[in-house]
Amino acid sequence: MKIGVKILPKNEVLDTQGRTVENTLRAHQREVNQCRVGKYVQLDINESDETKALARAKEIAEFVLYNPLIETYELEVVKR
Amino acid sequence: MKKTVGILRFLGTNCDRDVWQSVEALGLEAQWLWFEDQFRCEDFTAFIVPGGFSYGDYLRCGALAAKAPVMSSLREAAAKGYPVLGICNGFQILTEAGLLPGALVRNESRKFIDKWVELKIANLAGWATALRSGETLRLPVAHGEGRFYVEDDELKRMHDQGQVWMTYVENINGSVEAIAGVSNRSKNVCGMMPHPERAMFSWMGGEDGRSVLNSLLR
Amino acid sequence: MTEQELQTHFKKYRLNRGEYDRICSLLGRPPRGVEWALFSALWSEHCSYKSSRLHLKKFAFKSKRVLQAMGENAGVIDLGQGEKVAFKMESHNHPSFIEPFQGAATGVGGILRDIFTMGARPIALANYLCFGEPSAKRMQTLVEGVVSGISGYGNCVGVPTVTGQTEFHSSYNTNILVNALAVGLFCDGDPVVTSNARGAGNLVVYVGAKTGRDGVHGASMASEAFGAESESKRPTIQIGDPFMEKLLIESCLEVMKRDLVVAIQDMGAAGLTSSSFEMAAKGGVGFRIHLDHVPLRDSSLGPEEILLSESQERMLLVCEPGKLEAIKAVFHRWGLDACSIGEVTTGTDVELYWKGDLICQIDPKLLTDNAPMYDRPYDSWTARNKKQSLQAEPVALDKSLRSVEGTSRQWIYQQYDQRVGGATVRDCEHDVAVVRLPHSGRALGLVLGCRPSIMRLDARLGGYDAAFYPALELAAKGFQALAMTDCLNFGNPEKPEIMSEFVASVDALADAAKLLDAPVISGNVSFYNETLKQNITSTPATGLVGLRDNVDSIPSSHFNQNCERIYLWRFDAIQMVGDQLGRNPHFTGDMNPAQVAQWLGLVLRASHLPNIHATKVVGKFGLGYALYRMCQGELGARVELGEWAPDLAAFGQERMYEVLFSGSQSALKDLTELAHGSETSVWDIGGVTRGELTLGGERKDLSALHGLYRGGWSENFPGLS
Repeated sequence: MKIGVKILPKNEVLDTQGRTVENTLRAHQREVNQCRVGKYVQLDINESDETKALARAKEIAEFVLYNPLIETYELEVVKR
Repeated sequence: MKKTVGILRFLGTNCDRDVWQSVEALGLEAQWLWFEDQFRCEDFTAFIVPGGFSYGDYLRCGALAAKAPVMSSLREAAAKGYPVLGICNGFQILTEAGLLPGALVRNESRKFIDKWVELKIANLAGWATALRSGETLRLPVAHGEGRFYVEDDELKRMHDQGQVWMTYVENINGSVEAIAGVSNRSKNVCGMMPHPERAMFSWMGGEDGRSVLNSLLR
Repeated sequence: MTEQELQTHFKKYRLNRGEYDRICSLLGRPPRGVEWALFSALWSEHCSYKSSRLHLKKFAFKSKRVLQAMGENAGVIDLGQGEKVAFKMESHNHPSFIEPFQGAATGVGGILRDIFTMGARPIALANYLCFGEPSAKRMQTLVEGVVSGISGYGNCVGVPTVTGQTEFHSSYNTNILVNALAVGLFCDGDPVVTSNARGAGNLVVYVGAKTGRDGVHGASMASEAFGAESESKRPTIQIGDPFMEKLLIESCLEVMKRDLVVAIQDMGAAGLTSSSFEMAAKGGVGFRIHLDHVPLRDSSLGPEEILLSESQERMLLVCEPGKLEAIKAVFHRWGLDACSIGEVTTGTDVELYWKGDLICQIDPKLLTDNAPMYDRPYDSWTARNKKQSLQAEPVALDKSLRSVEGTSRQWIYQQYDQRVGGATVRDCEHDVAVVRLPHSGRALGLVLGCRPSIMRLDARLGGYDAAFYPALELAAKGFQALAMTDCLNFGNPEKPEIMSEFVASVDALADAAKLLDAPVISGNVSFYNETLKQNITSTPATGLVGLRDNVDSIPSSHFNQNCERIYLWRFDAIQMVGDQLGRNPHFTGDMNPAQVAQWLGLVLRASHLPNIHATKVVGKFGLGYALYRMCQGELGARVELGEWAPDLAAFGQERMYEVLFSGSQSALKDLTELAHGSETSVWDIGGVTRGELTLGGERKDLSALHGLYRGGWSENFPGLS
């Protein structure tokens, strides 16, 4: 089963990439309220039970994928 | 008329002053081309897109700079056959702008590399006639994302057209076929990861950069 | 306030009873509202130097070159010919231990702002790093994080990192040191701008990044249990943005060069509070500040948090009202915003407004000039490790080359852009970094100092050495030392044994600086480098700059001509056994500082001799190690036994001080003449050869030694490649 890990900079932490992309978009008349740039990690886990796969992905995410000081993450089941 | 070299400047460009110093050292005039402005090609004899970290290398190296207004003028200059050289981040900008083939991605080591390297000229670039095929150069590199990547069929086309300009003698970053510099099909637009402007005087540790810039600007 | 509330406030704001009483008597009443936070921030050790100020006065002397010294953002010296340099060193130890990448990155950002705030363009960076043993918990991660943080920030902002020093010792296992130094250049009549605010009616202008919750010193949080609710309120890690910093450098230098600003200060520790209060206090003027006009990244911030936020890449400046539009235009061109948040007033008070209400009015001098100053107890120095004779414990060359102390630092410095700026003459590979001054074509030398192993041997010797050793390295390359900066990293100053080391090393450093006529013109003190009661090695790091007239004939760091002779010049004051590789540290002999300083002048002259081609100061692991470091590629050396080394073990003997020279046959006579009457010895100890390093008849294959020296890093840090 494939689990996607969406990692974003925490809201209260400055996102330097997001700020720069946001400013550039504004300079090109493509203004948005906010832009945040994160990472997406896809894990193919050898597990067919969704709950177990998510638990495994959570453990992996917290082991190394994200830095709790500056980032948050969300898991999603990748349907095909 | 004194020859004027246009040096592009984006937010975050940081080798601009170094390139200016080198152009002056060769007895030529330099002029800034600010990213928000457009320019008249006829006022210049050649263009350099310097290295550095335009827009902090955020999103993808060179991606945000490639969209700047000054690039539409540069595109025009390239189409008209003016010599254009992209150095390091300037090379990345030219690939993102579609003026050069391929892409530059993170070094195989995933680390920034600053060191002097040996390079071999593979093919002549249109203007760089002072550099003979097979000649070697010693220049410094300084990049985190300098691994040249290109798909096989495009690589074949590049070979057919003689667009592989220079290669690393020792493949320091995992580039496809150790490619360090390329040109477009008409050979007037070239990009290279090493920094010729950092090898202009013996006190810098080498002077091989002179022949690269000299041939562009002559 | 009840006694219990008072105790809670003391804890929350890290103030003690004595300090509280002092505040009450200064104000004529107890502090209220945000005043607690203001005193907490500005009377902290970090901002007030309350434990060290008394002793830092020993650095007060100046030379004729000093234009700005302590008290400004950075010291400035005059190089003549229209060129001046500003430089300073600062610590970022604790943040780097918590989050190594951002901690080190923001350390670089902060020191750069101290430099360009003065109006100087940053031209060089250096860093002094102390890590624990490679096997210590998290150490591989810390090393990797710190190095990539420095590289990520410095490379992007476009300032070359030209030199560094990296130490490893168990005393740093739970408290690493990350000290960053920056040098900036003024030329063509660039103004030296200070932080002295002037002129009632002038505007106080905020530029750069918006304010967030970054690093708000949440003493308030310490007393709260962490729960789901408090999670979002936790002070957040400061994030550095080198791209924003690059834009700030260009725009700030432009407004200063165009004479659009009266005064400027970066928002560093304690953010807006320290910058505004220091600017007003120094200028002897009042400020009216509207805290609700401060641009915010997080709209939920209150006045106290705005005052204390340590968001990066922000500056505060004062300008005449008529120049605001021109200033805004410059910043706008560089993609930045500038906005007025207040004005200079005729009084002497800082008035803080929040949505129209005056929430605090206070004389800033109460917080700056009237901060407490402690004479912490200490003992006069006694040399505990001095012995009658040495228990020689030489380390074999092979072992030293592959040890973490001795191995190549290439893995580190290859990640730094050492050449951006087009002025680097000697990079991190060399003992002394050299940058070419663009207008005069002269050479500026930069080198770091302080050997922790000497500090562990003896704090007084270590203090002298922190100035003499780097000055000797400069002299050996033909540079006259001009001035220095320091970053005094120590443990808990409330412990007399730590304070004694502090005083002994500061006394020695000040004395050495005087003797060298190279005053300490800027610096920083970092106390409380202790974790779980373990203090770090007292580490007074230094950075010295020197000058020479040209870049062309600087002696090489390596042997560069086969068959040349190798000479050793020894000033034999101290012989020692350092504690590298677990030895028991002790020393014999005495140092006469005035004689060392005099001898340094002779070495300087020797390094200008035309028949001298390469030089090296002998340091850790002694003569054998230094000789190896002079070998490069195929060129090696054959060195005999003799008076300078009666047996093989002598090649591993450490002393203060020795310098190696290589040059032509005729140089021996010149060196001997220079040494005449100085009670020092010069010997011809051998010659340059190919392919081997032979010490006292013991031959080593050079390529094997290169393998050990280069391979040592990955042996010690298998996880880093």
